[in-house]
Amino acid sequence: MVKRKHADRSSGAAVDSKSTPKDEVLPAVRTSDEPAPKKQKWTNKQRVLIFSSRGVSYRARHLMTDLRTLMPHSKAETKMDRKDSLFVVNEIAEMKNCNRCIYFEMKKKQDLYMWVSGVPKGPSVKFLIENVHTMLELKMTGNCLKSSRPLLSFDTTFDKHPYWALLKELFIQTFGTPNHHPKSQPFIDHVFTFSIADNRIWFRNYQILEEDGSLAEIGPRFVMNPIRIFEGSFGGPTLFSNPHYISPNEHRRRLRKKNANKYLDKLQSKRLHAENMRQPSYRLDPTDDVFTTISPEEAAKYEK
Amino acid sequence: MASEESELDSVDSDTELQEAFRRGELKPGLNIEARAPKVHINNVAGMKSKLQEISQAIPWVERLDSTCDPAADVLGTEKESGEDVVHDDFKREMRFYRQAQTTVLESIPRLHSLGIPTSRPEDYFAQMAKADEHMTKVREKLLAKQVSMDRSEKAKKLRELRKFGKKVQHEVLQKRQKEKREMLDAVKKYRKGQDNKLDFLESGKQKIDGNKKQIHQPGKKRQFKNKKFGFGGQKKRSKYNTSKSAKDMSDFSVKKHATRPGGVKKAKAASKNRPGKRRRQKGKNK
Repeated sequence: MVKRKHADRSSGAAVDSKSTPKDEVLPAVRTSDEPAPKKQKWTNKQRVLIFSSRGVSYRARHLMTDLRTLMPHSKAETKMDRKDSLFVVNEIAEMKNCNRCIYFEMKKKQDLYMWVSGVPKGPSVKFLIENVHTMLELKMTGNCLKSSRPLLSFDTTFDKHPYWALLKELFIQTFGTPNHHPKSQPFIDHVFTFSIADNRIWFRNYQILEEDGSLAEIGPRFVMNPIRIFEGSFGGPTLFSNPHYISPNEHRRRLRKKNANKYLDKLQSKRLHAENMRQPSYRLDPTDDVFTTISPEEAAKYEK
Repeated sequence: MASEESELDSVDSDTELQEAFRRGELKPGLNIEARAPKVHINNVAGMKSKLQEISQAIPWVERLDSTCDPAADVLGTEKESGEDVVHDDFKREMRFYRQAQTTVLESIPRLHSLGIPTSRPEDYFAQMAKADEHMTKVREKLLAKQVSMDRSEKAKKLRELRKFGKKVQHEVLQKRQKEKREMLDAVKKYRKGQDNKLDFLESGKQKIDGNKKQIHQPGKKRQFKNKKFGFGGQKKRSKYNTSKSAKDMSDFSVKKHATRPGGVKKAKAASKNRPGKRRRQKGKNK
């Protein structure tokens, strides 16, 4: 996987040259005064379970796999049956030894929802996911190491309300790759951007081309519309419900209603026009026609 | 609004409704139950305590987060309208981009100060998020776009040039006409005796010589043939009558056409000189 041509060769040669003259003999007993050998530096052990329910569209599936490739601390699981209640997710995550979970579900084969949750005791958030673009789209020109750690960039709006602050903390713990994670690469070459616009959270992923601030988008990109924040994991009392949220069903209903009204308005305006036209425009004497003569041919025409 | 009214009415509305029902004034379909307005929960204390519960006391290196405003707007994309940023794709994306930029500019020096490498050496190979095949596809698409843009640019330039060329041609034609007019004027003046000098001829000639020294002139034979059979220009419709050709009377000779029919005097005179056959024979017999 990882090749280090020159460095390895040179360091290996150095070790050889040092080790050949005299073999180092280890002491038989370690004195208790010596400090214990340092353990792994991987201390922040976040593990994220990323999976979905059955019946998600291909686009949602691609988004899920994209997140998996970008997050080395993630684990996968088979798709869950839609019949199972959401509490089962907690058990699955515990079995997988994960303390965070991202769960996708799709309603009506068109509305994608994403749960982000801290597994043993919350909090959990349900988002509506809109405008998904996956990493495979050709207009995203950037690229990064498969499992390098991302920088996490947040809008200043995240500090203005407690619910944004809570979401920010949750995102940092889920999307941030822990330092010295065994699967991660030691370099930092991309940024996850979370910004708030229109009461939604917009996710972008950029490659750092140069360290003077030129970037290229890697993808995926999606918009998270928060619906509810729960105290527990996949349930529990509600801490926050978004007043700006309009469910996709409601949105579609409004659109349809608007169109229906358009049709009714058209009908009504037509009717009114017809009624207006029926009224005589100015007064005429009906006896004016008495003296107009019609030729016999014309009269025959009218008789028919 | 509706909820307030219903609350005010609700004290005695039940009895009133019951009476109305007894009288038969209430019928199914006339009344619709008013829906309770949606109650939105915003438990600030709960959220704050939850935030404290989950927040970690670990160094920044473990988290790599940063909260910042977008970088300074160098291009000036956002200045025109603040409201439209969400719906204008370009402006919105620029804002996100600038936010990421600020993060990079803040965090990279911080990482360097902590002694953490950010850029990888050139000989460090590892699996990338996007495969090489995918990246070649991306590059091909970019290239194709570049090519098509170049082509359209070229076509645009050519169109512009053609337009300009037409203008130049028009100017040249007008200039020639002007010269010709001046020349004719000068000739007219000379004829009338207003001008004694023949400078205009020379100056015209000089001009022509200056311009067309190098132009090859065909030989005399060729010139004659060109005159006879035509050379250059449109051959079509060259034999049609025009108003000019119809007016042209140079071919008309009065001698031929304006005399009485059969009245060619010369021929008559000639016939008079020679007597008829019989007279000639009579004369012989004499």
